[in-house]
Amino acid sequence: MSPRRVLRIARWEAGRNVGTIDRRTAILLACTLLVIALVTPALVLSAPTPGEGVYRVAVDDANPYHAPVAATDRLSAVPPGANAVERGRADVAVVGTSGFVVADSAKGRAALATLRSATEAYNDRLMATEDDVAAAFPVTVDVSYVERGTRVSGSGGGTASDAGDGTGTATDNGGTTADDDTTADSGATTGDGTGTTTAAGSAASAGTAAPRVSGDASAPANTPGGLTPPFPLESLLLAFVFVLPLNVVIQSYGSSVLDERIDRRGEPLLVSPATRADIVAGKTLPYLAAAALVTVPIAYAVGAGVASVLAVFLLAGLFLAVTFLGALFARSYKELTFVTVTVTVVLMAYAFVPAVFTEVHPIAAISPLSVVVRDIRGDPFQLGGFLLATVPVATAALVCYGLGLGVYREEDLFTQKRLPAKALDALAAPLTSVRRVGLLTVALVPFVLIAELFAVAALFVVPPDIAVPLVLALVAIIEEVAKSVHVYAGFRNARFARSTRTALALGLASGVGFFLGEKLLLLTRLVGLSDLTVGGAAFGNAALGAGSLALLAAPLVLHVVTASVSALGARRSARGYAIALAGAILLHLGYNYTVVTTVG
Amino acid sequence: MDSRLVIARRELASLRREKTIVLALAIQLFVAAFSSVLVVGLVSLYAPGAAGGAVAVDVGVTGDAAGDLGPVVEHGDAMHATYYDTESAARTGFQHGDVDAVLVADRLNSGRTYVDATVPDGSFVTTVVVSRLKTALSRYERQRRAELSTRLDRQPLDLPPERGGSTYHGFTYTVLIPALAFLPAFISGSIAADSVAEERERGTWDLLRSAPLSIPAIVDGKALAFVAIAPVQVACWFALLSLNGAPIHNPLTTLGFVTALTGLLVVGGIAAALAVPKHREAQLVYSFGALGAFGAASLLPESPQNVVARLAIGSTTTVTWLTFAGALLIGVVGYAATRVAAGRVANT
Repeated sequence: MSPRRVLRIARWEAGRNVGTIDRRTAILLACTLLVIALVTPALVLSAPTPGEGVYRVAVDDANPYHAPVAATDRLSAVPPGANAVERGRADVAVVGTSGFVVADSAKGRAALATLRSATEAYNDRLMATEDDVAAAFPVTVDVSYVERGTRVSGSGGGTASDAGDGTGTATDNGGTTADDDTTADSGATTGDGTGTTTAAGSAASAGTAAPRVSGDASAPANTPGGLTPPFPLESLLLAFVFVLPLNVVIQSYGSSVLDERIDRRGEPLLVSPATRADIVAGKTLPYLAAAALVTVPIAYAVGAGVASVLAVFLLAGLFLAVTFLGALFARSYKELTFVTVTVTVVLMAYAFVPAVFTEVHPIAAISPLSVVVRDIRGDPFQLGGFLLATVPVATAALVCYGLGLGVYREEDLFTQKRLPAKALDALAAPLTSVRRVGLLTVALVPFVLIAELFAVAALFVVPPDIAVPLVLALVAIIEEVAKSVHVYAGFRNARFARSTRTALALGLASGVGFFLGEKLLLLTRLVGLSDLTVGGAAFGNAALGAGSLALLAAPLVLHVVTASVSALGARRSARGYAIALAGAILLHLGYNYTVVTTVG
Repeated sequence: MDSRLVIARRELASLRREKTIVLALAIQLFVAAFSSVLVVGLVSLYAPGAAGGAVAVDVGVTGDAAGDLGPVVEHGDAMHATYYDTESAARTGFQHGDVDAVLVADRLNSGRTYVDATVPDGSFVTTVVVSRLKTALSRYERQRRAELSTRLDRQPLDLPPERGGSTYHGFTYTVLIPALAFLPAFISGSIAADSVAEERERGTWDLLRSAPLSIPAIVDGKALAFVAIAPVQVACWFALLSLNGAPIHNPLTTLGFVTALTGLLVVGGIAAALAVPKHREAQLVYSFGALGAFGAASLLPESPQNVVARLAIGSTTTVTWLTFAGALLIGVVGYAATRVAAGRVANT
């Protein structure tokens, strides 16, 4: 790869983006951007929610419950009247000051529950105007988050807590019973501090009231109403800001790659002295730079640091890599759009859903966005979590580019084939020897890791009785497919002779490759993911071998045997492969089940 | 008319041949299922009453107000109070896992109760425990307020009764359904732009124009195909949701609304592709334009998302119907305008 050529191609690519826009396009783009620029501040100010007024409460204007209804977005007040609920005009009707007529439906009950929490919030606001603070808010709470038991999380921080007194509390025990602080917040009269100092010490640190107890104005901090379970939704929204611009970048990128394939436009570049790697790197560089260019200012604006930028940048790399492959496989722009949407949706789900549980559950660590969320919240940097979040993503991106490079050539670039056939071509391209099969298996392990993490993330809330068998089955399917799909591609594209001996050799290579690559799954140990029942079921296999030699050999034998079985099937036909793969999966499932029930 | 149907059929055939639309549908299904699983999981954790009492929480109670607080804790769903004589005994119990949380409650001179709560850190249980404690302590707060009511100038309102309703019920209608309704509409517009842009880039657009077809007829044919597929997808979602116990209240009206929006997005996409020669730029104009239009529409008294949510959950108002009628009107007018404009643009 020659840096000079790469840079020249990158310059062309960037120039093509800017230089070819005609005046009409520029005006149109400017107009749409202007509209967005005008609309955004208005949206931020008015903050419309999709749930406005979905529950209707029949309540009189003079009724005391009218105020809480009017103050709540999701509730709307409708005029009362005879049989408002029976006639379907309302979901809940307030009769007098204590009677409630509720529609007999899930919606009616939900409306009542919403009214209940609205009334609670209203009461807190009402009480905030009372003079006697101790009677208005007769209960104050401090929450300490204490790690307990002997579970050692071997994460970067390394705070192995012993069973004595809990360390690592999130809120200080002392001095946060800030009564005076509370009243000052809610704008009521201060003073009247008689006897409000408590055993926990004076309110010296009143300014730094408990960080976790974030209340809205209605529910003062340190009261039950102000308690919020840890759920970093705001930080997640900030993280969303990072990923959204990536969509624009990958749309342009996919378009540009597919452009080369229409009417053989990419041919001149292919016959130039530039190598394939030069071309691909040159074409990608401007978009990678664009991703970096949008990430850094956003990081600066939301107060995220270097770790966040790096994590998002690597995620952007995977977005680009998968789009690159998609654009190489797609037959038309329409197909590319579907591929782009698929990529966006799957990667967003992978990045977002686990990140919701940041600080709540170790599963969050699989998402690069959890690094961002932790960073924004000012939590200490965890090397283990960072590695788990970024290594699978980064290696998967590299492998995608590797596979794409294999088919970035005349005979593949300008032919139209169905998407799966193209994918098989890409898998078969690097298979020039038996050894290469093993290497490709190793290269596929990051995808295995991502898929298995995804499965674990999807199933960890399900009760273990159901989740463990499901995870075991999914793991068996994912791993067997990863071990055999390229072997099948090799046979199909006549890379290997269809003999039994070759099939066995390929199975051996693939099995050994997977056994070695599987050690990457040990990453999950870094954040204690394997302590979960579900996580243990999925990743326990890779960790075997700490004990005896027999345990070390067992997974090796398993992988070689199952890979050989599916290779033998793949040798014959698509149907033979499907049947053999099913057999291999069952074999793997049986083995996993035995291991989990006997060892775990 | 016939020639338009031919074009529509050709577009649908190419979608079917590529089979990727199946993939896109499968992905939508997967994401919806995934998020639903998570939400159901969260609901069962947050509101144990709704899902039949999931995880039981044991709370160690100690301090001089323990006799007061204990019964309140015990009263909660799937909660159990264990009394300890001393704080250190309670903490030892917590460390040994006998209890999931410790509450040290002390009565102060002012009549206020100070509660020092200890909950386990860094596990999923944290969320459950904190949300249960919040419920129990709120109940305790109400009880104490009632006991001290003589000291208050205004009295708090009595809470409406509990009937096991979930405040997460709305999620399906306010988040999931609008998302599932707008995603296909947006994709339809996007592939409409793709289709026209590709005809132009591959040079088949001129071939198409040399056929005995007017430009508006070509627009009709292409729009017909892409507008038709969005409501079909949304209808599938509605059927699936209804089977899963989330009935859609005005299915036909909601589909009509989605169709009107799809029509607008599709002609918008076609217009973008006709106005801008290159695919990439056309897509950019379309995406930003659609984003801006949705943003602007969100400023309406009832945003499109809100209209879909209200229609689906069955809480319509006059404004909802006015917005619906407005969408239909703008859909028809916008379509007609684009059709005429397309003829002009393509001729220049």
